[in-house]
Amino acid sequence: MTALLDLLPVDRRPATTDDFCLEGRTVLVTGASSGIGAAVARLCAELGARIVLNGRDAARLSSVHAELAGDGHVIVAGDLSLEETRESLLNAVPTYDGLASCAGIAALVPLRMANAAHFQKMLDVNFLAPITLTQRLLYKKKLRQGASLVYVTALAAHVSPQAAAAYAASKAALEAASRTLGLEQARSRIRANCVAPGYVQTPMLESLGNSADMSEKFNLTPLGRLAPEDVAGSVCWLLSSASRWITRSTLKMDGGLSIAMRV
Amino acid sequence: MNSDALSLPRAAARRHFGLTGKTVLITGASQGLGAAVARSCAEAGAQLILSGRNIDRLKSTLETLRIGENHRILPADVTDMAALRQLAADCGPIDGVVHSAGVRGLSPMKMVSDSFLREVMEINYIAPMMLTRQLLARQGIRPGGSIVFMSSIAALTGTVGLGPYAGSKAALLGSMRPMALEIAKRGIRANALCAGIVQTPLTTIDKDWFEAIRKTYPLDVGQPEDVAAACLFFLSDASAKITGTAFSMDGGVEYT
Repeated sequence: MTALLDLLPVDRRPATTDDFCLEGRTVLVTGASSGIGAAVARLCAELGARIVLNGRDAARLSSVHAELAGDGHVIVAGDLSLEETRESLLNAVPTYDGLASCAGIAALVPLRMANAAHFQKMLDVNFLAPITLTQRLLYKKKLRQGASLVYVTALAAHVSPQAAAAYAASKAALEAASRTLGLEQARSRIRANCVAPGYVQTPMLESLGNSADMSEKFNLTPLGRLAPEDVAGSVCWLLSSASRWITRSTLKMDGGLSIAMRV
Repeated sequence: MNSDALSLPRAAARRHFGLTGKTVLITGASQGLGAAVARSCAEAGAQLILSGRNIDRLKSTLETLRIGENHRILPADVTDMAALRQLAADCGPIDGVVHSAGVRGLSPMKMVSDSFLREVMEINYIAPMMLTRQLLARQGIRPGGSIVFMSSIAALTGTVGLGPYAGSKAALLGSMRPMALEIAKRGIRANALCAGIVQTPLTTIDKDWFEAIRKTYPLDVGQPEDVAAACLFFLSDASAKITGTAFSMDGGVEYT
């Protein structure tokens, strides 16, 4: 028994499900009006967080807002790729404890047909918007000690599928930048991680092709169809103190889709 | 812990990340890491099967569990294939397994003996794979079940002197992927944690080395509780759609 007490003092508090709670935390969720962002906002609120919801569609944000558990949630409608929207987010609440970056766009364009405007648009929305938002949050000291930043990227950043050059590049850029960020901010115990989902049934994905194409993609996934709620659990784990030692990591959330791929 | 007494957010955390109604097998449960995983799984509502070589130390781990009454101890030497088969049979159906038994395996590669290399591979690679195989062969893991392997950052980076250990931990990743594909149709998943240095009696034997290495970790070295919290996530239904991943948790370390 003495030997064991040396190994693990019994007065040490074990990790419990309480560590996954977000009570007392303020979390900024971008892309909160639909898909993954809406699911993340709902789960964060259920876990006790106060949410600042951002998205372009004010009406849809209101309907997500209406179904959130708890109170004190704030809506900041606007396009995150505009500086004025990012500045309103800085002033929406005194400080943040977490960021769930879920806003993103996708379009399938073969590289031969992709012009500079297409690349610029993907980089603006998927890379520059979340990274410049993060830069302003840091510069204005809006992130509290121990804050957690979670960026929803994409499996495409690793596998680079057909017609996805700009999309994959924008998500890969976000992952790379987040790792530098995690290194620079460790002193403040601010963490930065990514969740890279495979094909998730969202309005964004449905806009890409007809339903037959999409069910083919879903059929490729060993564990079957992924819902936005499946991604939300991973994001909330990385936002919570249950992941306090994890930074500069990417969690692949793809139902096993990438197992057979050389990534 | 009565869930009625929990606040709504705490009850939600328990619903999404808890292990109520699940039976979890933990190997190496008498050691620092496995013991911490056992305590967290018990707190999260799981019924545990603790395995390891030393029955007295397993009993001590059992005594530290504050929650649950039906935990069991099944001692086994993981390098004995007959004992592994018996362990898989005695477990009954389970919902999760955490393979935390392992050895250090340090030797410069130009000096390593084949017997040492075999011993490290046997404990760190063959034992967890064959135990899983025995469990799967008798439908011992229920649909929705989760298998967690303890790989290591050593499987992903090069560190002088870690050759045998690194090889065994990389082998886990190699076989985990085909296994994950083979069991996906039964809704069972397999993942590996690639942890950096965790503060345990094993890593703190050489104090000077330990104090030097911990300075290279942006968020310090890990604690057993950090690994235990990750195990809760990978065992819970919150990770139901995650399989075949090698997930790094290492305080953000740049170099090893």
